[in-house]
Amino acid sequence: MHTTRPLSFVATISRSAPKYRRPRPGTAERPPYRAGDPLVGNPKAKVTKLVEGAPELGQPELTFIHRPPPSAPSPFSLTTSPASPLLVPKNDSTTTRLPPLIRPIKSVHSEQTASGAGAASSMPPRMSDADLEKLQELRRSDPFKYSRAKLAEMFNCTPAFVGMVAPLTKSQCKSTHKVLGEKHERSRDKWSEKHSIVMAIRKKRKELW
Amino acid sequence: MQHTSRRLVSTATKLNASNSISPSSLSFFPPKEALKPPADSFEKDAFLPTDWAAVQPTPSTALNAFAHRIGLASIFKDTDVIRQACTHESYLPLFRKHHPGKALPKTNKQLAALGNSLMGMFATEWVNGRYPHLPTRVMKSVVTAHVGPPTCESVAREMGASPLLRWHRTPASETEPPVLHADAMASIPRSLTALIYQERSLHVARKFVHAYFISRQVDLRSMLKFTNPKTTLIELTKKFGRETPKSRLLSETGRFSNSPVFVVGIYSGADKLGEGFGASLKMAEYRAAEDSLHRVYLTRRPDDMLQLPTSTFPTGLGDIFQKGPEADYTAPEPVPDSEVLYYSADRSARR
Repeated sequence: MHTTRPLSFVATISRSAPKYRRPRPGTAERPPYRAGDPLVGNPKAKVTKLVEGAPELGQPELTFIHRPPPSAPSPFSLTTSPASPLLVPKNDSTTTRLPPLIRPIKSVHSEQTASGAGAASSMPPRMSDADLEKLQELRRSDPFKYSRAKLAEMFNCTPAFVGMVAPLTKSQCKSTHKVLGEKHERSRDKWSEKHSIVMAIRKKRKELW
Repeated sequence: MQHTSRRLVSTATKLNASNSISPSSLSFFPPKEALKPPADSFEKDAFLPTDWAAVQPTPSTALNAFAHRIGLASIFKDTDVIRQACTHESYLPLFRKHHPGKALPKTNKQLAALGNSLMGMFATEWVNGRYPHLPTRVMKSVVTAHVGPPTCESVAREMGASPLLRWHRTPASETEPPVLHADAMASIPRSLTALIYQERSLHVARKFVHAYFISRQVDLRSMLKFTNPKTTLIELTKKFGRETPKSRLLSETGRFSNSPVFVVGIYSGADKLGEGFGASLKMAEYRAAEDSLHRVYLTRRPDDMLQLPTSTFPTGLGDIFQKGPEADYTAPEPVPDSEVLYYSADRSARR
């Protein structure tokens, strides 16, 4: 026994009728990608209304939208208007919000986080003289066992700092590089052909950076 | 086969380019030495037509035409002076061999040395004035590109000095390097510069060099290469007393796809030093560092503000060591030292 209620029937159909066909089972069918209009809601777009128009009277409105292309800024620079801020007197303005850092600063203490604050706040404390002497002695004793990375971890500093304060002599450098070079050469010989090709491609790409 | 045919072509071109002997300058043709010598004659050497052609004097009509072609006919009224400018010192042994009794012709050795120094000075002051922040090694490369040996040879060829050049190919000896066609040709514009300086003034010589050499386009960007642009930038910001540069991500797309694009900007505090894009974060950072360095080093002084120090020399004819009226010159403001040199414990400045 059906009650004839055509209006409610139509509403049910429009609500349950899907926009896209059911994807065939066993396939990766997806709805087609439709890109949004980049001019709508774009913060960089400059919108100028040329003709107000009256839509109810059939007169369409006319809007001119200019969105400058997102190309790289030109490095063309003159001494009268240099492109680099280094050649211009420094202006102290800390109000601008800066984009996020690529690599967040490794903070020593847990309360200091990389919030865009200066590097000084997250640098480790200055190393004591005793620690420094101990570091130098260890490095001198066995450069292979006490490598820069290991010492950096032990003394809570960077490997670059270890290289600066405890440099090896020229002969030590040569012998270390020779031994490590041979070690790396042996690992490279173990690579499969495909891996070697991939690494060679990466090396070539890096040359063309 | 290809190599030999190419060599034959180049030899043939050089022969064609070498002095075309005009019949009017010869009193007797064919030359006596070309005819078969008597059986009892002392001279046993075979007759070489190329050598004979090389030893013939250049007709003064050709030299006059050359002077007019390069626009210096009013300065070089005497063709002997141009003949001297086109005679390389390697020509003397050949001349002595074929004309043992005659007086040796004047060569362009001293003129070329003087002209080379003048050209170097004009090019250096111009490059340094135009790009005040350029590193020294790059400035030297640019100067070489403008007035170096290959450019001098090019300009000489373009001027049409090939048929006028008198030289002789000399192989390398224990003490001297070899003399090639390019070396001999390069000596001509240098000698011309020296002659203009001697006949007129330093300012006219500078005008000549600017017209023929400094006006040539040189790509500076390709000469600026860094082994590690990031460390160079760190040193540079330290020199300017700014904060350590930090890389920040400006925009990215497709991070986990097979073709990502990252745009990275390098900031010193709140100032953006440079921007770069790449398929990886490291690549984008590298390019951003390069861009930052380019923005400093390729900063150009506008041409209307360019002041050349040689303007302080007297403008009139005569000795530069005598006082005379000078052109306008205002010394530019000293620029901050922006050159980065890497030092390490055991060696001196290395880039």
